[in-house]
Amino acid sequence: MKRNLMTIVIGAVLIVIFALLLFVFQVRQSEVAVVTTFGKPTAQPYDKPGAYFKWPWPIQKVYKFDQRVQNFEDRFSQNLTGDSNPLLVMVYVGWRISDAKAFFPKFAGGSTVAAQNMLESMLRSAKSAVVGQHPLADFVNADAKQLKFDAIENEIEQAVQSQLQTNNCGIEIAFLGIKKLGLPENVTETVFQRMTSERQILISRFQYEGEAEAQKIKSAADRQAAETIANADAAATRIRGEGEAAAARVLPVFQQNPELANFLLRIDAIKQSANQRTTLIFDERFPPFDLFRSLPTNAPSR
Amino acid sequence: MSHDHEPDHTHEPPAPAPVTPDDAGSQALAEALRSSFAIVKVVMLLMVLAFFSSGFFTVGPSEKAVILRFGRPVGEGEKVLLNSGWHWSYPYPIDEVVKIPITEIQKVNSTVGWYSTTAEQELSGEELPAGASLNPAVDGYAITADTNIIHTRAMLYYHIEDPIRFVFYFVSASNTVQNALNNALLYTAAHYNVDDILTRDVAGFRDAVLQRVSNLTEQEQLGIAIDQCEVQSIPPRQLKDVFSRVTSARENRNKLLNEAHSYENQVLSQSGAQASSITNAAAADRARFVESITAEAKRFSDLLPKYESNPSLFAQQTLVQMMGPILTNVQDKIFLPQRADGKPRELRLMLNREPPQPKTAAPNP
Repeated sequence: MKRNLMTIVIGAVLIVIFALLLFVFQVRQSEVAVVTTFGKPTAQPYDKPGAYFKWPWPIQKVYKFDQRVQNFEDRFSQNLTGDSNPLLVMVYVGWRISDAKAFFPKFAGGSTVAAQNMLESMLRSAKSAVVGQHPLADFVNADAKQLKFDAIENEIEQAVQSQLQTNNCGIEIAFLGIKKLGLPENVTETVFQRMTSERQILISRFQYEGEAEAQKIKSAADRQAAETIANADAAATRIRGEGEAAAARVLPVFQQNPELANFLLRIDAIKQSANQRTTLIFDERFPPFDLFRSLPTNAPSR
Repeated sequence: MSHDHEPDHTHEPPAPAPVTPDDAGSQALAEALRSSFAIVKVVMLLMVLAFFSSGFFTVGPSEKAVILRFGRPVGEGEKVLLNSGWHWSYPYPIDEVVKIPITEIQKVNSTVGWYSTTAEQELSGEELPAGASLNPAVDGYAITADTNIIHTRAMLYYHIEDPIRFVFYFVSASNTVQNALNNALLYTAAHYNVDDILTRDVAGFRDAVLQRVSNLTEQEQLGIAIDQCEVQSIPPRQLKDVFSRVTSARENRNKLLNEAHSYENQVLSQSGAQASSITNAAAADRARFVESITAEAKRFSDLLPKYESNPSLFAQQTLVQMMGPILTNVQDKIFLPQRADGKPRELRLMLNREPPQPKTAAPNP
């Protein structure tokens, strides 16, 4: 009896599991599921994760899609810019399924490959249209205001986005950017030639600039030095003049007695002129030698 | 299912046993079946155990894990992420474990902007020689603001801040980061001039690339934070020589300028020194002149009363005072007394042009 009960319980559990497998389906985080009843999509897509009820296979069927952003890159293709320069452009796109109900019937069984093929053709036309509206200077420009890089990316994105919307593809673009820019192979050679000549101009400019600039610096320094010395000479003359002016204020003192002044000047003159290599010759009348005259030994012998 | 039948089989053989007790063959069969069913029971028990223990899993040191219960992440906020160690979840149909590799720092390299080469070729220095032109299908490059071609590549280091976003919102988030890096290189090169990228503003270029990548990954909400970005840029190999000549010309110019500046410094400091010595000399002259004239005036004023009291005596005294030191200093002193007859003496001087010794002889006839 006990064994039979055990058997029934186990059998019931197995039936429940089997039924759950038939009637319940899971939607993972990052997934979206579309349920079809006899091949026709019904109700809203299940885009929230969790477990849901469905009728078993022949009646309802579940299709699951990755709801995450998928990366796609188109071909590196050549386009003509607005000013007729050939330019190779490659863009990368992040796209995701935004409306699984619309996406599902559009592409056989919701094939992402088919979706990306369609995306590629949309990108090709959008790219050539947008690139054709912009001159090369919009792609590369030192002036941040004239560089339209972001604007070009936005325009391509808008064009693709609006095409996706009019076709009701259930796809949205999360982001779009230029991945690669290039020039046709033969153009690179011309660019190299131009770059070479630009470099040569730079080389000669550096040479002349260096010499001229150095010369300029040196001569400026020389001029400034001469000016400094001339200024100093002028200042020196002025300073000496000040000295003479100060002396002139003292002169009236000497005018009290010009004779004495004259006498003192002569004394000074003699003092200065009489040095060691001087020979002096005196006669007896000159003081202090006049003392000799009165001496008996030197008395004139008559 | 087989479980259901098992009791029946085990029951059946003993039932007919009393009827045919001498059927040794069927008894042996019953024994064999009983023992094999026992083995099956043990195996089934083990399988059930294995089924429940399969819920244990480990999370490695460089990864995190998320449990999805019926497809929905278990836990709230930060708790969603399981750290390294042992964990348990319900077995498959209920729970699913998603492991997210998070090494501390993720690294991504740019794929556009560099000529075709491999790391091995680069290390061994056996790169293929550059052709005359660049094939857009193989060789990557960036176009600068002045439409020059350069090669540039970047290496980006980042870490995942929001693993949930990184894993559940992007099929290949690291690929998206790479594309953002590629885009940033092209975008930044497109508004920098070639000389800025290569020499003048290398750091500025790198910062601008970093800025652009940060902006893009933020806009795209990748759930990452950027740590660092390394950028390397070179001129096309085809133009290596001419670019290096520019560099040496620039260095040469700088050398000339430096020389000129040092000459300038030397000349200016010399002239400054000379100027100050000129003015100083003049100032000294002025001071000395004023000083001496003042001293002179003072002496004059001092002497004046003496002189006025007796001019001739004063003159005599001064003269004698003066003669004293002169006569001591002067080497040759000659005294000529008057001739006895009162006639003037005849005096002959013989002057050497340049007497080696001050010995002027004055013969006395």
